[in-house]
Amino acid sequence: MSWFLLLLQTSFRNIFSSFLNLVIGLIILVGTFFFVVGGSLVDSIDKGMSRSIIGSVAGNCQVYEASSQDSPAVFESWQIPDLDPIPDFSKIKGPLMSDPNVSAVVPEGINTAIVVYGNTIDQVLEKLRKAVSPGTRQPKAVVDSLKAHVRQMVSVIQTDMGKVNQIAASGSFDPQAGEDLKKASSNEFWGSFDSDPFNHLEFLENKIAYLIPDSDQIFLSYVGTDLDAYQRAFDRMEIVDGQMVPPGHRGMLLSKYDYEEMFKLKSAHRLDQIHEALTEKNKKIAKDPDLQDLVKQNKLQTREIVLQLDPLSSQKAVSILQGTLNSKETDLSKLLSAFFDTDDSNFESRYKVFYDQLASLVELYRLKPGEMLTIKAYTKSGSVDAVNVKIYGTFQFKGLEKSGLAGSESLMDLMSFRDLYGYVTPDKIAETKALEKTAGVSFVSRDQAEADLFGGSSDVEQSQQKAINDKAEMGGGAKVKRVDLTQRVYTQDEIEKGVAMGAAILLKDPSQLKATMKRLQAICDKDNLGLKVIDWQKAAGNLGQFVLALKIILYFATFIIFVVALVIINNAVVMATLQRVREIGTMRAIGAPKSFVLGMVLTETVVLGLVFGALGSALGSGFVMLLNHSGIPAANEFLYFFFSGPRLYPGLSLGSLIGAFIVVLIVTCVSALYPATMATKVSPIEAMASDE
Amino acid sequence: MKTFQTKMFHHQDTKTPGKTIKFLGFSPSLVSWCLGGKSCLMFLVLVLLPGLALAAEGLSKDKMVEILKGIDLRIRSGGDYKALVYLEQHQKDKPDIAQEALVYRRDVDQKLMILFTKPKTDAGKGYLRVDRNLWYYDPTVGKWERRTDRERIGGTDSNREDFDQSDLAGQYDPQFVGEEKLGNFTVWHLKLTVKPGIDVAYPLVEFWVDEATGNYLKRQDFALSGRLMRTSYDPKWDKLFSDIKKDYLWFPHEIHIYDEIDKGNSTLVIIQSVDLSSLPENMFTKAWLETKSR
Repeated sequence: MSWFLLLLQTSFRNIFSSFLNLVIGLIILVGTFFFVVGGSLVDSIDKGMSRSIIGSVAGNCQVYEASSQDSPAVFESWQIPDLDPIPDFSKIKGPLMSDPNVSAVVPEGINTAIVVYGNTIDQVLEKLRKAVSPGTRQPKAVVDSLKAHVRQMVSVIQTDMGKVNQIAASGSFDPQAGEDLKKASSNEFWGSFDSDPFNHLEFLENKIAYLIPDSDQIFLSYVGTDLDAYQRAFDRMEIVDGQMVPPGHRGMLLSKYDYEEMFKLKSAHRLDQIHEALTEKNKKIAKDPDLQDLVKQNKLQTREIVLQLDPLSSQKAVSILQGTLNSKETDLSKLLSAFFDTDDSNFESRYKVFYDQLASLVELYRLKPGEMLTIKAYTKSGSVDAVNVKIYGTFQFKGLEKSGLAGSESLMDLMSFRDLYGYVTPDKIAETKALEKTAGVSFVSRDQAEADLFGGSSDVEQSQQKAINDKAEMGGGAKVKRVDLTQRVYTQDEIEKGVAMGAAILLKDPSQLKATMKRLQAICDKDNLGLKVIDWQKAAGNLGQFVLALKIILYFATFIIFVVALVIINNAVVMATLQRVREIGTMRAIGAPKSFVLGMVLTETVVLGLVFGALGSALGSGFVMLLNHSGIPAANEFLYFFFSGPRLYPGLSLGSLIGAFIVVLIVTCVSALYPATMATKVSPIEAMASDE
Repeated sequence: MKTFQTKMFHHQDTKTPGKTIKFLGFSPSLVSWCLGGKSCLMFLVLVLLPGLALAAEGLSKDKMVEILKGIDLRIRSGGDYKALVYLEQHQKDKPDIAQEALVYRRDVDQKLMILFTKPKTDAGKGYLRVDRNLWYYDPTVGKWERRTDRERIGGTDSNREDFDQSDLAGQYDPQFVGEEKLGNFTVWHLKLTVKPGIDVAYPLVEFWVDEATGNYLKRQDFALSGRLMRTSYDPKWDKLFSDIKKDYLWFPHEIHIYDEIDKGNSTLVIIQSVDLSSLPENMFTKAWLETKSR
């Protein structure tokens, strides 16, 4: 014991005795600092991400059909996994809820919809068609306003074509298009519109509208779910605009993030982006190429606004812009271009004018809460089906407002989801089989096509004209009856008794995740539910593996640092030992046993490692505490999601501290082993006889 | 070579006694006069010998344009056209889709309408082509949408051109590839490239035209990049006499379409019956198609 105390005393005395010790110490200090800070950051990101993933859509764990080819990937809406449907959600809910740690089981299915917007003139013509159609007829004032708007658009196209005609080569334009435009802008055409609106509309739709090639389509990812159950289970969800879908109704809530990105007037959205960068991120237009690009886009892309305005609104807009810019220009397009030509000095005042005065003249959002949205999706059978869904409002997750990942999916009621999923019912299979049977044809495989189809002789037949009865082909009646489902209210039983692609499971005690998953899997197996249980990390797909990847990078970097440290420490201790050959020889001569020498070198190195390791850990801990106080800002939307908010406030990880201690101990022991053994072989006579 | 020449210039319609098909610009009377009269030798010298040269060097451009015009002319109805069509889509790892539709055409005005009648879930859906616009209507949502010529009709591998009249001579420049065998048929293999400034579903098309009948039997559609998109076979052709056209209207009885991108997907189109009676004047409008569902 006294030996050990003596060794400790010597070790502490020798810590700063040589420059080599200082080098070794600094390496250990940097390594432990890195280990503690990195480990704490990764642990904090892990916790942040788990909050984001569990709290937004995945739940603590998920169940899905075990027979599926893929497994759920709730954030990978760009590639929908191939999952087999759970035919009846109500049959799995009860058994899963029987586990005491399960608080909610929420049916879910993810899909991507396509929202097609015709070109700008198509959209107004569609409104005009509805306004003059029986059943949806609008007052004369509305019809007249829409007519004026269309006429204004025709005039804009005419002006544009005139301009392009001047600079483009002759023959660039179909002369017929010029004639059609002339007709569509004439007083005679509009004078006779009311007497035969549908023929006039057909002319505008087929001869004029195609001249504006600005049609647009939006890809909208959504989660089909029992909306009430979802809102109860995911308490970070909050309604931003509009209202929650009433219980039992078909409807949709758009993610606020997507709503701003996809449905807002592009010029306005760009203004918002510049405003946010200037006010929240302290950027400057003059210094930021991205902001300059947004300004340039706004300057050039004024057509979206010009086409939106009817003659009256155009006049108002010209007047506002003339006043703001102190200009006498009358061309709205030129005025808008000048208005959007902003810099750091005038941006905020223009931003205010836009929202205070101009915004009321344009449609800021092409879809408002309460309106109907037609969305299409590829069904399970490969065809494209469409449904009309009422948009009740927008939602976001508290703390994840600006995360594109958390806001990447909108929410849809389960009934509409099932319609778009296109579950092939037994009735539909029977109908297809009957049609195939009537047609009486057999499938010819691709490989055999030429041999099978052209193996005979020339086959030309003369047909006999056969009258085709349209009514009979339409199923006995000339018309197909359609039922409006948007007003129907479904019972909870109807919602639950049907297809779901999977279900999110929320736990009362998330720390019991692994044990609960085991029990749930046992329930599924026992009741032959055919389900597989996976945790939130796996359910998040590649995103869930992000933290694992970060950990691997951290541990690999730490490993490299300590391997280098091990080699350097080893060499340094060898050198230090060689410098002390006379001292060791003397010790051995006055009776110190080999074990004492071995212990001395080992203890000195380990003490050195522990002292500098502790110093590194202390510095690392201090740095983490500092970061915890100030927070690390999320520089982009991905970090916003990983941090589960606008800033990451990392906590000190006990695991990292313990890990650092163990690594330092191992590295120093291993690196000192060889020099220590070498020191025990020093012969006292030779050592004392040698020169300094 | 004798068979080639005979088939090229004298295709006797065996199932319609007394009717001789006008082919490659030679009227039946000229062909029969030449073959039956004293001027046969002259005919051989003037026509068949250049024909032999053609076979050796390939078809001249004029001759290929004539072949394409012949196809266009045969498919054109001259008046109104209504057909009952069956579509069957086979998909890899997915259930089959079977549909029935009514196809209406008014070729003079370049108008086309496809109205789906079966299955129940698709009844009332339809396409309307007016000029260069192709519209799609879904009564479930009561909306019209613009579609392109590449639209997969009813979610199958077929597109608008498979149901419409054709304008191959007007849209494409032909190039002779060679004389080939397709199963038991001797065919001309032509390569068509779209003319500048014309919008078509596929800018490059390869055609295999039956030398005996002048009908195309095989077609391959390529993207501008040269990637093969689909292969279709039209092995059986039917014809129906049109009083307005004063000639036969030809239509493929069945079209087998194979998707070359999603291998394993294919479509079978069967034109079950054709009716050339006059159609209502106002039917090629959005309003008419909308009235088919309520």
